[in-house]
Amino acid sequence: MTATYALIRDTFREAFARKVFWGFFGCCTALLLFFIFLMRVDVVAGATATVSLFGKTSPGQDVTKIVKGTQGFIAAFMYVAGIALAVFASAGLVSAMFEPGRIELLLSKPVSRTHLLLGRFAGNVLVVASNVWYLTIGTWLIFGIKTDVWGTGFLLSSLWTIFMFTVLLTVIVLVGVLFDSGAVAIMVTFAIMIITPILAQKDQIERLLSSEWSRDLLRVMYYVLPKFSDGAKLVHHLIVNEPVTDWMPLWSTAIFGAAMLGLAIWRFERRTF
Amino acid sequence: MTEFAIETEGLTKVFRNRWSGKELRAVDDISIRVRSGMTFGLLGPNGAGKTTFVKMLLSCAHPTAGVAKVFGQDSRIPGARQPIGYLPENHRFPTYLTGWGMLDFYGSLSGMDEATRKRRIPELLELVGLDERAHNLRLGKYSKGMLQRVGLAQALMHSPKLLVLDEPSDGVDPVGRKHIRDVLQNLKETGVTVFLNSHLLQEVELFCHDVAIIQKGRLALAGSVASLTGGSGFRVEAANVPELVEKDLRQRAKTCERTEDLLRLSFNTREEANLAVDLLRAAGSEIESFSRTRSTLEEVFMSTVK
Repeated sequence: MTATYALIRDTFREAFARKVFWGFFGCCTALLLFFIFLMRVDVVAGATATVSLFGKTSPGQDVTKIVKGTQGFIAAFMYVAGIALAVFASAGLVSAMFEPGRIELLLSKPVSRTHLLLGRFAGNVLVVASNVWYLTIGTWLIFGIKTDVWGTGFLLSSLWTIFMFTVLLTVIVLVGVLFDSGAVAIMVTFAIMIITPILAQKDQIERLLSSEWSRDLLRVMYYVLPKFSDGAKLVHHLIVNEPVTDWMPLWSTAIFGAAMLGLAIWRFERRTF
Repeated sequence: MTEFAIETEGLTKVFRNRWSGKELRAVDDISIRVRSGMTFGLLGPNGAGKTTFVKMLLSCAHPTAGVAKVFGQDSRIPGARQPIGYLPENHRFPTYLTGWGMLDFYGSLSGMDEATRKRRIPELLELVGLDERAHNLRLGKYSKGMLQRVGLAQALMHSPKLLVLDEPSDGVDPVGRKHIRDVLQNLKETGVTVFLNSHLLQEVELFCHDVAIIQKGRLALAGSVASLTGGSGFRVEAANVPELVEKDLRQRAKTCERTEDLLRLSFNTREEANLAVDLLRAAGSEIESFSRTRSTLEEVFMSTVK
């Protein structure tokens, strides 16, 4: 437990030192201040029947719709831009661990390689998660105080964002273990983030493909790779409190992440430094 | 408890190029034993396989064949590395950590609890000669010498029974070098096994009891420093030697050289040396010294790796 805590704390320290954490924190704080400014939050007279959102006065019954729409926009922004930023930031944090002169000392300690890797991984997830929660809870409070709309969907959506980042981090870790390169890790992860929304249109694309094997390949790729854009739809469902009918994007993405992490651990255990 | 701190059996590391299939035997069938409480020096020219050997010992590199044991346990088992303190060569300590923070981090990884870490850190920083100003200074601002000192403190953090040091005085000034040597000397007296990988042959000769020389991945020579440097002949140094006596002695001695007033002679046997002393005394010369011939470790090293 001492070693796990030390590894997580070390990741935070490195994130602080590399300004990764503060960069995130600064962006989130700026966004929160922006929302406060736009909504002219009056904490004392918080809950009001009518609100002025973005300069427009809306009748009370539309408030929930407007708030959820705005939250949906923020969640989508966080999901796409936040994860992209997090991928950029995390690639360096992972590959730094494998630097010659540093990894040897870590490996000489009475801690298993799997423990070292998972400790760093957990620290990285928590660095990103703490900022995502800071922005989500901050936004939720601002909107809640101003409009008295306290739906939990927006809060739940942050879990999906963190989950998707965690899965992409497994790719970063695997590429980091294989090639020691943060840059390659970013490229591969971004490629997945770009390809998977295209694959999500498989029904339309299939109609354009003439051969059966290419359709099979498309399906395999769709089901194997993480469901980045399907996740965005799931987030939307959560925010507007619509029932989620298909959890396949969740479990298939989780399987992908587990497989990547398993491969990374397997390779790390066998690698000579 | 096993009597050996380090034990390797046929330790071999072969690097294969994935594309060309070419093989490089970095370490080739090395079996050595280092007794507990001993000071051991590992020597070899650049590229001889010393670092790979040390890496296998610490489980940073996996052996192609053979096994490396630390106090009787395979070093690949994480728990087997508990008694090891390690200072790597070309270390890259996290520059965002302070001296204190670094010791705290690596101490935690060695399983030390917080109270012990808090007690041990200031003790060690003082031991290696880092003043209080350095405690809270980021490692990025440390000089090379300071980094070596804090690296040594890190290696000593959890009171290891085996200390593996890769070029410990690299980049340290002479005063600091002496300081480090004193620290190691004190550890030696407390029964800590010290495994030293250094290019400074004089340092190894002064400090280590046993040495091994690796050449092209193979164990070329091993033994105690005393046995490797101790010669079988005798040396006589004399002053005011008359020319006639010198001429006679030159024919009897194995080697003979003159430096200004001093005549240096070496003989294969004690009898020959004694006879020379008798001749010199009879001629009224002054005997400056009479000793066994010894080689320096450098001479042994050079003749081994030639």
